[in-house]
Amino acid sequence: MRYVLSKIAHGLLLVLGVTLISFILMVWFGPDQTYTLVGKNANPQQIAEVRHELGYDQPFAKRYADYVAQLFTLNLGASNSSGEPVSRILKRTVPVTLALMLPGFILGNVLGIALGLTAAQHRGRWTDHLINGFSVTGMSLSFLVIIIVLQVLLSTPYGLNLFPVRGWQVNDPGSYLKYVTVPTLSLILVTLGYNTRFYRAVFVEESGKDHIRTARACGASAAAILWKHVLKNSLVPVMTRIMFSIPLIVISGSLLIESYFGIPGIGKVTFDAITSGDQPVLKAVVGLTAVAFVLIQILTDLLYRLVDPRIS
Amino acid sequence: MTCWGKLNPVNALIKSLLLLCVSIASMVMLPGCDSQRKNDAAESSASVYHHSMDGAPSSLDPAQASSIYANFLAVNLYDTLYRYKYLARPYELEPNLADGLPEVSADGLIYTIHIKPGVHFIDDPAFPGDKGRAVRAEDFVYSIKRQFDPATRAQGAWLWQGRIVGLDEWKESGSDYEQEVPGLKALDDRTLQIQLVSPFPQLTHTLTQGFSAIVPREAVDHYGQEFAIHPVGSGPYRLQTFNSASAVLVRNIRFRQEPFSLQTEGFDPASQGHLGLEQLEGQAAPFMDRVEIEFVAEDAARWNSFIAGELDFIKVPVSQFDQVLVNRDPPALNAALAENYHVIANLESGFVHTDFNMDDPRIGYHPDPELNIRNRALRCAIIEAFDWQKRNEIFYYGIGYVFDGIIPPAAPEFDSQQTRVPPARDLEHARNLLTEHGWNAENLPVLEYGFTFSVTERQMFEQLRSFLGEIGYPQEKIKPLTFPTYGEYARAYLNREVMLMTIGWTMDYPDAENTVQLFYGPNASPGSNTANYNNSRFNQLYRESSGMQPSAERTAIYREMNQIVIDDCATISGVSRRLILLWNRDLAVLPDRSFVGGFFFRFVAPRSHPGGLQATE
Repeated sequence: MRYVLSKIAHGLLLVLGVTLISFILMVWFGPDQTYTLVGKNANPQQIAEVRHELGYDQPFAKRYADYVAQLFTLNLGASNSSGEPVSRILKRTVPVTLALMLPGFILGNVLGIALGLTAAQHRGRWTDHLINGFSVTGMSLSFLVIIIVLQVLLSTPYGLNLFPVRGWQVNDPGSYLKYVTVPTLSLILVTLGYNTRFYRAVFVEESGKDHIRTARACGASAAAILWKHVLKNSLVPVMTRIMFSIPLIVISGSLLIESYFGIPGIGKVTFDAITSGDQPVLKAVVGLTAVAFVLIQILTDLLYRLVDPRIS
Repeated sequence: MTCWGKLNPVNALIKSLLLLCVSIASMVMLPGCDSQRKNDAAESSASVYHHSMDGAPSSLDPAQASSIYANFLAVNLYDTLYRYKYLARPYELEPNLADGLPEVSADGLIYTIHIKPGVHFIDDPAFPGDKGRAVRAEDFVYSIKRQFDPATRAQGAWLWQGRIVGLDEWKESGSDYEQEVPGLKALDDRTLQIQLVSPFPQLTHTLTQGFSAIVPREAVDHYGQEFAIHPVGSGPYRLQTFNSASAVLVRNIRFRQEPFSLQTEGFDPASQGHLGLEQLEGQAAPFMDRVEIEFVAEDAARWNSFIAGELDFIKVPVSQFDQVLVNRDPPALNAALAENYHVIANLESGFVHTDFNMDDPRIGYHPDPELNIRNRALRCAIIEAFDWQKRNEIFYYGIGYVFDGIIPPAAPEFDSQQTRVPPARDLEHARNLLTEHGWNAENLPVLEYGFTFSVTERQMFEQLRSFLGEIGYPQEKIKPLTFPTYGEYARAYLNREVMLMTIGWTMDYPDAENTVQLFYGPNASPGSNTANYNNSRFNQLYRESSGMQPSAERTAIYREMNQIVIDDCATISGVSRRLILLWNRDLAVLPDRSFVGGFFFRFVAPRSHPGGLQATE
């Protein structure tokens, strides 16, 4: 318990630090919405009025204190553009992003682990070279190119015309599959290379350790070696990679996927907030991402202890 | 063989993890599903028009309808007093909610407007009993007042600023809605009177804008800040859903029944006879049950979606022009597309121009008369070095309308004979100008060209640099000044920090007053005169013309003002883009991205088959 409390205390300090830095960046270097909101023939008085309405004329300390209070009370204010409460925007868009991104995220990691294990198992052989070649190819392709090519191949009359190009009219598992398949394939193709390379390196390092040789010498089966010794002992880096990807998926989403497939998730909302300078939305996303990272870090630390008792 | 090779545990691992993955995805999917379970059976027979836009509105409050996207939605969800005739070109005013054109007093100061009887707002919880009430003249008064209330963050006040008696004072005294504005009165429920400070012949045009759309006070009070996403109007459609990717509008079943008249709308059988519009005669708009609008900024995605049949309308991305067109001007589609789609080249109601910051003594006005003359020579040399043909060819597919000056072809006062069309390039003369005025590679000023960062903007900058290189302007003296967002760019040029800035101006109404005001001295930054141009003769002519009704005399004044700006070399201008619009032949419609704009939605109809209008889906 003391360990958890200490982690939470550190986490709180971390959140304050991250939010302060990001707030400074937003206020001093971030987009200023004033000039997007003023009319065509504004005079200095109107500009001052808009700045006042946006709260830009408030002292920095007060603005930051308000921001922290908003984060802790989860009263995140309303979007400057649409007037919609930010909490409702998040409630509306985060589940969409989760539904969109999770299959690709999970499959990308599962396949990455599988291919990484296979490559490690056949290290130096043609299977390993094939997987490595495939990974490097995947890493070299632009996400944008992958999206457009898959759209053309799977969703237009130039190709198979099996899936919709855009949209998110999800009512049941059937329609969900219809709309999520091409984005998921895009996500898998773009992440698989990176994942495979990473997991392969982890598994190769682990399989070269003494305890693996000992297990093999003792006659342990290949399955046991793989499951009990290689995979289990590699769980710390595997878990770290997976866990720290989660906040980005949940909060930031994927701008490209959402934009190109016309999916109303949090990624597109965040991007629009950045370009338009909608600070309430931006502050909420940045702040919640920081909080999510801290929570994930605490959770990951606890899980480390679970999977590896040597960690104190 | 090692013991590793004897089994294939990977399969087992994949199976287990896949199972886990499917379970998690299923759990996550359910809350992510669109909650609006549609009544598929009911809607499958509905007629649906699928429209695409290359941008998205962030607010549906008419007070914030500053973008073309927001305006498209505003004029469909709300009523304006006037609109433009659907088919007449040049554009002509037509009463919308107003019951006829305004009655104007002899001195041009008092406008009396009657509104149509029996028009109701849509049913909404904002009203007692959730029942939409009748639209009253008082609602218009309230809607215009909102533009002047700082709390609204309105963007359209400039249209009426200093124009309506007492309105600016109303704002100064605290924007109290209970306080009357002398120049803005509802004489009764259906009669409105506007009293102007001085004649403003463009007033009726401003009443076609989304900014002037009529909102009920109850809804603004009820929804507060969220009114921007809860539109409550009396337009032909009402909002069903709205998010960052799309908007769905459904027919307003209480919309007034007005028989469509080809003659009233300005139908031209010779140029529009092939569109199937005759079938609309006598029927009441709107003709579609639903309008689904996709906001697709990405050209490739928009095109793929259109080709896949998901969209009925598209503004064709420039990158596709070669694949789509077999002839540029007039545009003609390739055979495969021509079978299913109509095409038009829609001239934009505005223009793109690159202004010199006349407030910058390095390139603009200089207190020393001699240096002032030298600066003018420098600007003229830059303008003469600019190759509009190449700019048009590379960035506008060669179909942009290149012209000289500040009155674009969409304005009725445009005169192609007045100036060189397209602007001629004269490198020899440009070089001579520089030499004659003592400019050389050493003393030429560093040119800072501002733009919002994008690949296209960067390419345009590089092209400008190459043009100027041809008159001996050192490349290292032409520098980019980039900004991450348009807001930042606007902040810089409105604070007079940018030396050379490219501006796209979309005209608010078809009257050259809307573009000549861009160079009127008192409108200098942060006003719309971003060039900070200030010429006493020009200013005097602007004031003289400002109260004049459209006439040959006024046109002559505008053209003289145009010539003054050209002679002063204050701007590198310009080009009006032509947009290639494609739409499904199954629809009877003439789309427009210009002054008619979003008003055309109500007239979109499924192309008729025997027996009258039929659904497309």
